Amino acid sequence: MNAPPKLDGSDTPPPASGRVPTQARVLRKLFLTLFLRGRTSRGLQRSGAPGSIGRKLFLTLLIYALFGCFGATFAGRPVFALSLYLHAITLMFLGMFVAASAGEVLFNREEGDILLHRPVHPRTLLWAKVGVLVEVSLWLAVALNLATFVVGCFAPDGGWRFLPVHAVSVALEALFCAGSVVLAYQLCLRWFGRERLEGLMTTAQVLLAVVAVAGGQVVPQLLMRQGRHVHLTSDHLWMAALPPAWFAGLDDALAGSAARSSWALAAMAFVATGGVAWLAFGRLSNQYGAGLMALAEAKAPRTPKGGRRWLHSLVEIPPLSWWLRKPVERASFLLTAAYLLRDRDMKLRLYPALAPMVIMPVIFLMRDAGGGTGAFGVAFAGSYLALLPLLSLELIEYSQHWQASDLFRAAPVSGPAPFCNGSRRAVLLLLTVPAILVATLITGVLTRDPARLVLLIPGILALPVYAMIPCVRGRAVPLCRPTEEAKSARRALTPIVVMLLAGVLSGLAAWAWSGGWLASFLAVELLLVVLTYGLLRSIAARARWSPME
Amino acid sequence: MISLQRLTKRFGGQTAVDALTLEIPGGQIVGFLGPNGAGKTTTLRMLTGMLEPTEGTATICGFDLRTDPVEVKRRVGFVPDSGAVFESLTGLEYLEMVAALYAIPADAARTRIRQFLAFFDLSFETLTDKLLGAYSKGMRRKVVITAALLHNPPVVFFDEPLDGLDANAAVGFKALIQTLAQEGKAIVYSSHVLDVVERVCDRVILVDKGRLLVDGRPDALVAAHGAGTLEKLFIQLTGASGLEQRAQDFARTFRP
Repeated sequence: MNAPPKLDGSDTPPPASGRVPTQARVLRKLFLTLFLRGRTSRGLQRSGAPGSIGRKLFLTLLIYALFGCFGATFAGRPVFALSLYLHAITLMFLGMFVAASAGEVLFNREEGDILLHRPVHPRTLLWAKVGVLVEVSLWLAVALNLATFVVGCFAPDGGWRFLPVHAVSVALEALFCAGSVVLAYQLCLRWFGRERLEGLMTTAQVLLAVVAVAGGQVVPQLLMRQGRHVHLTSDHLWMAALPPAWFAGLDDALAGSAARSSWALAAMAFVATGGVAWLAFGRLSNQYGAGLMALAEAKAPRTPKGGRRWLHSLVEIPPLSWWLRKPVERASFLLTAAYLLRDRDMKLRLYPALAPMVIMPVIFLMRDAGGGTGAFGVAFAGSYLALLPLLSLELIEYSQHWQASDLFRAAPVSGPAPFCNGSRRAVLLLLTVPAILVATLITGVLTRDPARLVLLIPGILALPVYAMIPCVRGRAVPLCRPTEEAKSARRALTPIVVMLLAGVLSGLAAWAWSGGWLASFLAVELLLVVLTYGLLRSIAARARWSPME
Repeated sequence: MISLQRLTKRFGGQTAVDALTLEIPGGQIVGFLGPNGAGKTTTLRMLTGMLEPTEGTATICGFDLRTDPVEVKRRVGFVPDSGAVFESLTGLEYLEMVAALYAIPADAARTRIRQFLAFFDLSFETLTDKLLGAYSKGMRRKVVITAALLHNPPVVFFDEPLDGLDANAAVGFKALIQTLAQEGKAIVYSSHVLDVVERVCDRVILVDKGRLLVDGRPDALVAAHGAGTLEKLFIQLTGASGLEQRAQDFARTFRP
């Protein structure tokens, strides 16, 4: 240890002389770096971290760009119809992204100890964060719209002007989306007070994301059904109630039909975006500092005593006490259940991601009700529901508290299997069973032929097998990975492959139903499910801990 | 330099800091002591602008915490007990970011960082090659201390600064805060390591349940209460008696 450095005035750095970047610039760079690298990366070397996260981001953008290619099916449609579809999809994806990211970016509890005692005005902090949210939203929006920029240029009433105009409308939409989410947070803070801030933020964020997903999936379906009877033009009064129509109006006004109604919608886009931005980033931004302080002083939310008793009593009585008779599995069940019900980060990642899994079956059933998909739609709705535990288990692995999972490895247990089993059972009981009940109810209401309900069975029958898949590689250990890894696009590969298999199964089931041999099909499927489940379970039981990095 | 007038903080119905009144001049090292939950960290968080006081006033270097929080923060260095850093930045990226927030030019910041590196026996490569998430707890603590002192603040608050530091670094740190005090800075040092406080601090403030219990020179306080050591005084005033007996009873009953 050398002599302490002299910090008296003689070698004090001169304040604000020379080239010093502004605080806003420094903070924007900081938050962008944190967004790209993640907030925690214990054990990573510098060379490894940014590159790998950069690759993940590139993959994400690539997937967005590929998904955007679906817009090519709108080739030949007028600019307004094409733009309406594009902006609806863009708003859904951006809404999901901003709602899921905003909580961590805007109100990060750990950040308080690092930044709150620095001489930074809360407004500067807020603007830097919003800048990053808007910037990343723009990347995603551009990737999503990449293919359709070209499609729009060749629309019957389009032209080269579609390119710059659509770029502007997408940028405006990204600003509107980020502003709306920030505004929702600010209003929660203003109306409901500091004590309830965190709980309300979580609820608001989950609802925003679920509404974005539901809206993004259901509205295009409704539009398509409407589209059979009416042309999608800006003339309809109800278009004014749809935010995507405002931005589509801007495209149509400047690069399409230039109808008067499109100009009105375009004006709404500017007014709404300006109003939201003014409120969220200007007028209410002073509340932001108070919000950060509220987080710093907020204690851990108290668990309602009744709720806790309910959860713990539940596992004490049969049949759950039989199902969870092994203590490690029971502890893992309770841990997973607690995080599913209480943890803010978990709720924000899990429920918006699961929303499409519950909504998509409804979409299939809506199509069925309209005579669109027939037996396959109902069968695939069942398969979709059966994928719920697979997706949930893949997400429950990630937590901000992942370092605490070292405890599992220190416990005298030979491998991860009991932890996986407890977590799997929590997901089956607390998420899957309610989702199936709700979906069955909706199916009963929507389907024209109640006898078709039986087609849900083949999908649901395969559910135990799907739920075992993450456990096979010992990956379904709850809360054991940092949340940054959840951003990896590679993570989606297993669900996609299983979804394809589920599609094949649904096709076979629909064929069997139409051929009148569904009962035989179910018998064979049941046999295969029992055998596969047994095999997967024995493999999972032999899984060992993956080496710690 | 630091002035508190009936500073109070309530969380709902619970009073964490209760009408604390203090004056701390420059050049003094003040040990801020108290049992867990006594209100030490809450007080430090209020004085660094991280929490808003419920009642009372506080000024630092003449600036009021309520009306000029940014000016107060410019004059304050804070080492929080959490030792929180942005783990996905390298040490150098982190320190340069902090320096830029205080408008310190890059070349001056580098010079200052190198001074601290030399003091803490850290290599520049360590600071550039590894992300902070890969640092040991002690190394991370050194970075946090450096980040708190980079802008040469006249007032420094340390909350459990020795946590994670090895014996050599701890000795060096004690020398550092004595040097800082000689330069005229006001140092507030919150810790549970009482023997270090006893040796380093000119003055001790003991709080419990948010209230001030005693305030004075460590030797004078120990003598006035006939306690022998600061540790015994602490136990005597915070009412934690019979600890050894309780430990023995616990060990006897805690047999599986």
